[in-house]
Amino acid sequence: MNYQEFKNAVVKYATANEIKDYELYYTKSDETSVEIFQTEIKGFSSSNSLGICFRCVINGQTGYASTENMSDEEAESIVLRAIENAKSLESDAPAFIHKLGDTYATVEKEERTTPAASELVDFALDLQKEIYAQDERVIDGTQAVAACVSSEKAIFNSNGIDLADSASVEFCYAMAIVSDGTDMYDGMEIASGKMANFDKTEIAKEAVKDAVETIGYTSVDSGAYTVVFSNKVMASLLSVYSSIFSAEAAQKGLSLLKDKEGEIIASDIVTLTDDPLYKDALAKATFDDEGASTYTKNIIENGKFTTFLHNLATAAKAGVKTTGNGYKASYSSPVGINHYSFYINPVKGSLEDLFAEAGNGIYITSVEGMHAGADPISGDFSLSSGGFRIEDGKKSTPVKGITISGNFLDIMKNISSIGEDLKFNPFVFGAHRCGSPSVLVKGINIAGK
Amino acid sequence: MLLPQNLVKEALWKASSTGADYAEVFAEYTNQKNISMVASKVDKIADGVISGVGIRIFKGTRCVHGSTSSFSPEAILACAQKVADALSGTREMETIVLHERRFGDIHPIRVVPASVNNATKIDLLREASETAKNYHSDISQVTANFLDVDHNIMIATTEGLFAEDRQIRTRMAVSAVASKNGESQTGSCAPGGRMGMEFYEIHDPKSIGEEAARQAMVMINAGYIPAGKMPVAIGNGFGGVIFHEACGHGLEASSVALGQSVFAGKLGEQIANTKVTAIDDGTIPNGWGSINIDDEGTPSNKNVLIENGILKSYMIDKLNGRRMGMDSTGNCRRQSYLYEPTSRMTNTFIAEGTDKNDDIIASIEYGLYAHSMGGGSVNPVTGDFNFAVNEGYIVRNGKVCEAVRGATLIGKGAEILMDIDMVGQNLERAQGMCGSSSGSIPTDVGQPMIRVSSITVGGR
Repeated sequence: MNYQEFKNAVVKYATANEIKDYELYYTKSDETSVEIFQTEIKGFSSSNSLGICFRCVINGQTGYASTENMSDEEAESIVLRAIENAKSLESDAPAFIHKLGDTYATVEKEERTTPAASELVDFALDLQKEIYAQDERVIDGTQAVAACVSSEKAIFNSNGIDLADSASVEFCYAMAIVSDGTDMYDGMEIASGKMANFDKTEIAKEAVKDAVETIGYTSVDSGAYTVVFSNKVMASLLSVYSSIFSAEAAQKGLSLLKDKEGEIIASDIVTLTDDPLYKDALAKATFDDEGASTYTKNIIENGKFTTFLHNLATAAKAGVKTTGNGYKASYSSPVGINHYSFYINPVKGSLEDLFAEAGNGIYITSVEGMHAGADPISGDFSLSSGGFRIEDGKKSTPVKGITISGNFLDIMKNISSIGEDLKFNPFVFGAHRCGSPSVLVKGINIAGK
Repeated sequence: MLLPQNLVKEALWKASSTGADYAEVFAEYTNQKNISMVASKVDKIADGVISGVGIRIFKGTRCVHGSTSSFSPEAILACAQKVADALSGTREMETIVLHERRFGDIHPIRVVPASVNNATKIDLLREASETAKNYHSDISQVTANFLDVDHNIMIATTEGLFAEDRQIRTRMAVSAVASKNGESQTGSCAPGGRMGMEFYEIHDPKSIGEEAARQAMVMINAGYIPAGKMPVAIGNGFGGVIFHEACGHGLEASSVALGQSVFAGKLGEQIANTKVTAIDDGTIPNGWGSINIDDEGTPSNKNVLIENGILKSYMIDKLNGRRMGMDSTGNCRRQSYLYEPTSRMTNTFIAEGTDKNDDIIASIEYGLYAHSMGGGSVNPVTGDFNFAVNEGYIVRNGKVCEAVRGATLIGKGAEILMDIDMVGQNLERAQGMCGSSSGSIPTDVGQPMIRVSSITVGGR
């Protein structure tokens, strides 16, 4: 059974069960990847997956059921299961199947061709050679990976919405392991977009540099320091705490920004933007996971918190219009809320300028254990970190074995300078990613020696 | 049977047509349901079927993996062909004979969750949620989840194995938020087991809700811990996450075989304090991380990883076993057919020692008692680990004093193993989801109370 036939079967069973308001959400993904160890292909993987979710509104409650198995029995089963689930719900949030009438942005689709398996293999083998060529301290365990992913998404509902989108991305990464004879150090670099544009030597060089730079690290004395957060680290922090901007979290009493719309929550140089159509994004979203149109908006403007991110249900509850941020974490998930390209706007100055301004302090380039050490409910974080000393306004010796701690909102308030080097998390290929320039913050608590 | 034997055999035959010396078909049909409650009202229900087939072939230490969401013979055979196309040799295997193997079920299920209606599950969830909410007037919000999974797998290999297993799990997770003076702190409790609805005869939903609320209340009234290096007593149960992160991942063959672990090449050597004996045991009846067979069809085992400080065994899957010249230990696992399986933990814990818990606390002049741990992570290459303390107390002059929040423990796996200098006697296991290259899988961590002589505690 193909998707069209499955869809017809679902419509038939929905009608037979007198369901008037329903939606069918479909995703399909094809991924091919190759992994190199020493000088040989270690693994080659090719996966095809699909998932379908049916949801329907009965007595003001939305029931969900999903499947990966397109058969006539499953078509009937997801309709019946969704009905049963809807009857068990007690949510006080209003329920919606989106109506026709939105105007969607148009984006130019690049013609994307998927590289042949042999091209991926050749690329990864060459990349692996480049990593070993960078430094004689590179040891086995070092890996190069090349992959491509293409995905499709479609939303069809009983109000006549029938939308589809597709995206594809090629990516590669180099994981370099170096040894100084006693300890091992690792470094990573990733590139995504079109393989033809990837510079193997540059990627290998960055991965090895990332590892080698940390050799000989030491800890620092515990205390309060002036800190420059690298763009990558600041984007990671923003990502962990992005849920506080969700209207759903706020309405459920799970956001520390509850009732703070219109208040100053950050330093006046901070402007935070959510852009579904960001120019360099690998995937652009003209509609959200409920079929509502998307648009670009500032969430924080010169320090002032302007709006939560909404979907149809939270917007109705708050008496506003949806911001087009309805989101399903996977095809089977209930509709929640997520951002798109979500970034702190660049201001001015290079990373070196920030070091000069810091004078003496710590440049944080890595943080670990975000899922455990950063609590989105309280805003508190205490994270294992690494980076470099900043001495006399310049980047100096490597630092590791320290933790940084504080509260996310305090950081946002205490940002004293923002650089111009905006960078998005390179490990996120979809439309939902965070970005930031490097930032300078004073008085960060560091635990070390 | 998930797939007919003749179709499986044809797929294996096709997959091995280009010179593979091993081929494997893994099929899966999983039902899972997650009921979530916010403020004691049923908020969302996710109810899904995950189904598909993963095919792997080996030639020496090279591996090719393919997967499809379809159970149709055409799609499965096309997937086998695609996998075969990644090699370019000629057939080495002449015949494939499959023998159906029955491993039995050492994790009996009494009441299959799918046979129970939503209302029954919701009643249990509400009981937990309301208990948490009513615990104290400072409890501002409670979220609760009821999860049940019915995971059916079939594995067939060119070695002749044809086996099936049905893995049923259930878990209840309650999260309580306490708020006071504009601050919020969260407490949680999330027990689970490879069990059916009978799980709730042992685990009273009220006690789950109460524990989450108790922890939130302790932490809302706590101050921040001053940062520094100090001795730490780590409580039993989820405290075992320290071994899971600091050492467990580094003993997985996926790191060891590639030389990416600090513990590679150290079998027979002392890698931990002599007080430490650590075990990975997938055969604990009805344990959250337990399996009858692993995802390559190897029966699960009780493997002593470290005995009195000496490294005895790694956790090994077939593919990495080839690279290491060692047999599988029954540790190959995958989240689903979409993920390429590899060596993973099951129920991993530090065994009971000889110290008394009271003596452990009494031995600390100034330090931290980490009563309850949060999650953590590790970089197996460098051994750097970190994890969060959910509920901690300052220890002064051998006595547990005021509660402290915001503590994170960091260090290097190889070092902390040597620094575990006291091991207590109240072994308990706790449940978690472990994420790694082959996806998110259920695992137990565990330990009795232990003492680490010195560790960096992040705080402010």
